[in-house]
Amino acid sequence: MKTTLGVAAALATIALMGPAPASAQQVSCPVKIGGILPLTGSMAPITKKIAESAQLALEHINQGGGIKGCPVELVLRDDQGQPTVGVDAAKYLVEVERVPAITGTISSGVTGPIISSVTGPSKIVQISCCSTASAFTLDGRSGGYFFRTLPTSKTQAFATASEITRRGLKKTAIIYVNTDFGVDMTKFVKLALPKLGGEIVAEVPYNDNQSSYRAEVTKALAAKPESLLLIGFPKDAVTIVREWLSLGGPQQIALNNSMRVMDFVNGVGPRFLNESFGMDNAQVAGPTVDAFNQAFEAKYKTDSKGPGVHTQYDALMVLGLAMNIAKDLTGPSIKDAVRQVHAAGGAQVGTGPEEFKKAISLIKDGKPIKYFGATGPIEFDANGDVTGPALVWKIKDGEIVTDRVISIEEMQALFKKVE
Amino acid sequence: MSMGLVSYGVFFLSVVLILGIVALGLNLQWGYTGLFNAGIAGFYAIGAYTHSIITTPPRADLIANMGLPWVVGIAGAMAVTALAAWIIGLATIRLRGDYLAISTFGIAVTIQLVTLNFEALTGGSQGFTGIPRPLYGMFGSPFAFNLFYFALLLAVVALVYWGLERILRSPWGRVLKAVREDETAAIALGKSAISFRLQSFVIGSTLMGLAGALYVSFIGFVSPFDFLPIVTFQIWAMVIVGGSGNNKGALLGALTVWLIWASSGVAITKLVPPAHAAQGGAIQVILIGLMLVLALLFRPRGLIGEETMVSRHADER
Repeated sequence: MKTTLGVAAALATIALMGPAPASAQQVSCPVKIGGILPLTGSMAPITKKIAESAQLALEHINQGGGIKGCPVELVLRDDQGQPTVGVDAAKYLVEVERVPAITGTISSGVTGPIISSVTGPSKIVQISCCSTASAFTLDGRSGGYFFRTLPTSKTQAFATASEITRRGLKKTAIIYVNTDFGVDMTKFVKLALPKLGGEIVAEVPYNDNQSSYRAEVTKALAAKPESLLLIGFPKDAVTIVREWLSLGGPQQIALNNSMRVMDFVNGVGPRFLNESFGMDNAQVAGPTVDAFNQAFEAKYKTDSKGPGVHTQYDALMVLGLAMNIAKDLTGPSIKDAVRQVHAAGGAQVGTGPEEFKKAISLIKDGKPIKYFGATGPIEFDANGDVTGPALVWKIKDGEIVTDRVISIEEMQALFKKVE
Repeated sequence: MSMGLVSYGVFFLSVVLILGIVALGLNLQWGYTGLFNAGIAGFYAIGAYTHSIITTPPRADLIANMGLPWVVGIAGAMAVTALAAWIIGLATIRLRGDYLAISTFGIAVTIQLVTLNFEALTGGSQGFTGIPRPLYGMFGSPFAFNLFYFALLLAVVALVYWGLERILRSPWGRVLKAVREDETAAIALGKSAISFRLQSFVIGSTLMGLAGALYVSFIGFVSPFDFLPIVTFQIWAMVIVGGSGNNKGALLGALTVWLIWASSGVAITKLVPPAHAAQGGAIQVILIGLMLVLALLFRPRGLIGEETMVSRHADER
């Protein structure tokens, strides 16, 4: 017990001294950025491409001149989809690796505790590619240090509701995954659909990783819907759609962004999906988007389709730009700089190393920049969220193709109509 | 030693202490009484959510938040978990071995699903944000608070450890072992095995509830993802690796297993070239499994095995 007291006393002394002040002016090379992603666990299949996208962004930042003249390192940790593991990794990154900013993570159940126990109190900027829970950015619980580069579920939900009614489908049944994402999406679809002339006849939640969803499907079918809105993740969605079709459900199936992967399409069988359509956040067609897609395909010999791939690239690029703009590499300075990445009247900069180089030289000259990323214009609102255009996709000849794009202007009009 | 390492160490050890309390609870149930509780995450969740509901200020979208002081939350969490364990125990405690395991596992999954679906009470999958931390406003930096909380946890663990050691060395504790070793013999000696099993089950589960409350008021956030079955597995690994039937073993197991979990992640970032970091996660999981297997191969009875415990009156004759 004596030793314990001794240790405690020693620690108390250190506490009184306070943490060593971070040297404000000089930047020590290399600059580290923390990354947390579920590389293993149930999210692993979609995380692979997301992690590759992060590596690509890192490469572009380094080829484009790094941060404040320093090469940049991404210290990537696995959260295993488990909150305690993610929090531990974040704390390690912040305290031991001394990263001034973190990008991550996917599951909101892991992002939440990281904000509340690590990045929030320590004033470390955190940008997520994929966490959708609306609570994080509302009423300033993150202290303004949390941002995300994917439009919240609201954009996708409203777009979905508008596409369902545009196709003249009146009665819709919703089967949704019982996570923050599924619940949020359903909440917003419920808000929008009646106002646009549609009707929800059944709402059935499902829990993931079950071998059969017959009960859920039967319940949804009992309401005699004209279409199904399925909100969930690919693996379970394959099971659900197969059971839906085999029980005689209509082929008009609306899908969310997670299903925009060939694993899902081939899992169900493309010929059963000719009538179905899906939503995603649009990578607004434009040179900056094309540049990203080409760079991704060139490096990884595979297309850049998939959830989180584009938003993860932007998350890291925004950090790269903001850390160049920030007067020093402390959390508060970087936080303020993130809001200057898409400054009004700034010169447009895009994706890829050349554009990053251009951005750095503009920043050095003290000129404002306006970043257009892999998902189009990246502008954070007061809550640290982005708004963006949406995209409708469908399956044609066994391939996922874009049906149409709902532009930012159309989205804004839609928001006005609903709210 | 750099300041950052100390700060991380304090945080890391705080998590170890919290998990250690859960491991002590399981050790009482499994190590001393032979109860195969596979529903640890459930009791941990009850404590965590009870504390969150009692201490978080009222909010429009939630029905039961009270905004009461931290101490009330801790006491409430323990009381509610004890009550839940007692009711669950009444229904299941007569089951033996694997039957008890299956039913408690089912109950834990049920509890997790309730936290996920009873949105008005628990915040559902969005979780609870802004759970108050004790005396948080009094500390200028997160590190100072973490240090205070660490000291608090140290005191709680010391108290729990001392209390357990005391009751387990008493005649009551020896009856538990008798029930574990040969229930029929214990009954033949006039002891009500069911009653002792139930007592052990309730006390052990209450400790898990206490740990849940301490966890959420440390992290400040709770969601159903905190209580997936992996948590139950981790606690079991801690008790087995540390040495079941030994409270020191349970605490050492908590430290060892959590150290393996955390350090393997660090090791990956140091050993795997950054370009292959995405594949590193898989190696980490293999490393964790490998180290657990090695620990059990070389120390089959755990790092510290069970110690013989005899009455202090035994050599008075």
